[in-house]
Amino acid sequence: MTFLLAGGGGLLSFNTGFAIWILVSLIIFLLVMMKYAVPPIMTALTDREQNIKESLEAAEKAIAKAEKISKDNEKALREAEAKAQQIRKEAVDEAELIRVERINKAKEEADQIIEQAKATIEQEKKQALDELRSEVAKLAVKSASIIIDSELDNEKNNKLVDKFLTDLSKN
Amino acid sequence: MIQTLRRVFLTLLFLSVSTSNTFAADDAEGAQEPVIDVMGTVADHDYFKVPKFINGGKLYLPRIFYWETAEGEAKLSAYASTKKALASDEFIETDEGAIVPAGGGSIKVDLSITSHLVYFWLGMGLAVILTIMAASRYKKGIGRDVEPKGAMQNIFEVLFVFIRDDVARDNIDAHKADRYVPFLFTMFMGISFMNLFGLLPWAATATADLTVTATLALVTFVITQFSGTKDHWAHVFWFPGVPGWVRFILTPVEILGLFTKPFALAIRLFANMLSGKIMIIAILGLVFIFADLFGAGAGFGVGIFSVSLTVVLYALKVFVGLLQAYIFTLLSAVFIGMAAEDHHHDEEGYHTEHIAEEVSA
Repeated sequence: MTFLLAGGGGLLSFNTGFAIWILVSLIIFLLVMMKYAVPPIMTALTDREQNIKESLEAAEKAIAKAEKISKDNEKALREAEAKAQQIRKEAVDEAELIRVERINKAKEEADQIIEQAKATIEQEKKQALDELRSEVAKLAVKSASIIIDSELDNEKNNKLVDKFLTDLSKN
Repeated sequence: MIQTLRRVFLTLLFLSVSTSNTFAADDAEGAQEPVIDVMGTVADHDYFKVPKFINGGKLYLPRIFYWETAEGEAKLSAYASTKKALASDEFIETDEGAIVPAGGGSIKVDLSITSHLVYFWLGMGLAVILTIMAASRYKKGIGRDVEPKGAMQNIFEVLFVFIRDDVARDNIDAHKADRYVPFLFTMFMGISFMNLFGLLPWAATATADLTVTATLALVTFVITQFSGTKDHWAHVFWFPGVPGWVRFILTPVEILGLFTKPFALAIRLFANMLSGKIMIIAILGLVFIFADLFGAGAGFGVGIFSVSLTVVLYALKVFVGLLQAYIFTLLSAVFIGMAAEDHHHDEEGYHTEHIAEEVSA
């Protein structure tokens, strides 16, 4: 197996015994590397890369979630504000309505009271007038009877006075 | 590919010139050592080089031989060092420095521990130990449940994720890629450490050895072939939708392509690491050659030039060392990806692009 290309020196010669040593020790080194040295490193690196990848993904998801939540919150806030405003407006409207109603009712009541009062007054007045009329008639008849006395027919005089009074009240 | 061939050619040229010169010098001046031994520095040794004050700069490594005696009896012998092997009277040293059995016969397989092997173990071992240390941290949860802590783990993770994402997952189908990460990562880290260890003082570059790179490429080759899908083999041996006579050309080219890929891997890494090393030694060697020829003053003068150039080359070597480890790993991933790919595209387009690729390779 020895081939001397250069003729001397032995620099380019292939030494079988040496090659056997190299081959055997290289195989041992390779086996040690394959069985004991490299696999833990490979798994560790893969695990770490996986971890980092997962963490990044989780962080991204968390950020997205947080963003969504904050957006939701904002939306809810806006909605709540709108609702509050609406409620306030409704309340104001209702209050206005109630106020108007109350005023109307009060006015109505007042009108009614006034009406009643007027009616009562009218009645009183009528009564008073009636009383006054009969009193005046009596008085007039009395005074006329006193003045004219027996000359006059009582009935005719009453009619005459009534007519006069009716005309009077109409004017 | 052309670049690699050129590198090999230059290396061969360099070797042929340098060896003939060495022999010429030996003939003229007898046993005198050359001023600077370029080949000796990059070649493999039976000792581990250390600073001079420890054991004279050399820690001898064990020699193990599987050999046959003159009677044809097979034997496996191990010695603590070359000297012990020679002292046992079983082996003698020839004039060229080779070890042969004393009573005739031959060494069948030289299983000696060499400096390159030690550096291979150091480089690969450091890669494995660092990975296991990192793995224990990840097991504890640091880096899995929390962020990675400390410079070491962060640097480790950068490299690991780079190999996993940019090398494996980019070139191999997604559901298969993770299976090849241990192999690619071991190759990348191991080759990087071997390349970088070569830059340390006294150290040797294990990847500047054809045996090492060829074995690494062989492992890539075997893994590539074992991960080949039916589609891959169909495209190697039998081209659906191609005229019959074209197959006579394409099939040999494809089969050849299976072997040229790992061959290119081996040569590319080897030549890159060796060339850089030789260049540094040659440029630094100028200091000693000039000192030898013209005296110490000339040596100092050249030293300024040589050392500053070497600093630049070192920076380049660090880059090239990492780059070549990356290229080896990337191309391994590409080859595996090509073999393991499930083809979904139309046959016409695939063949035109595939043939073009083969021609350019």
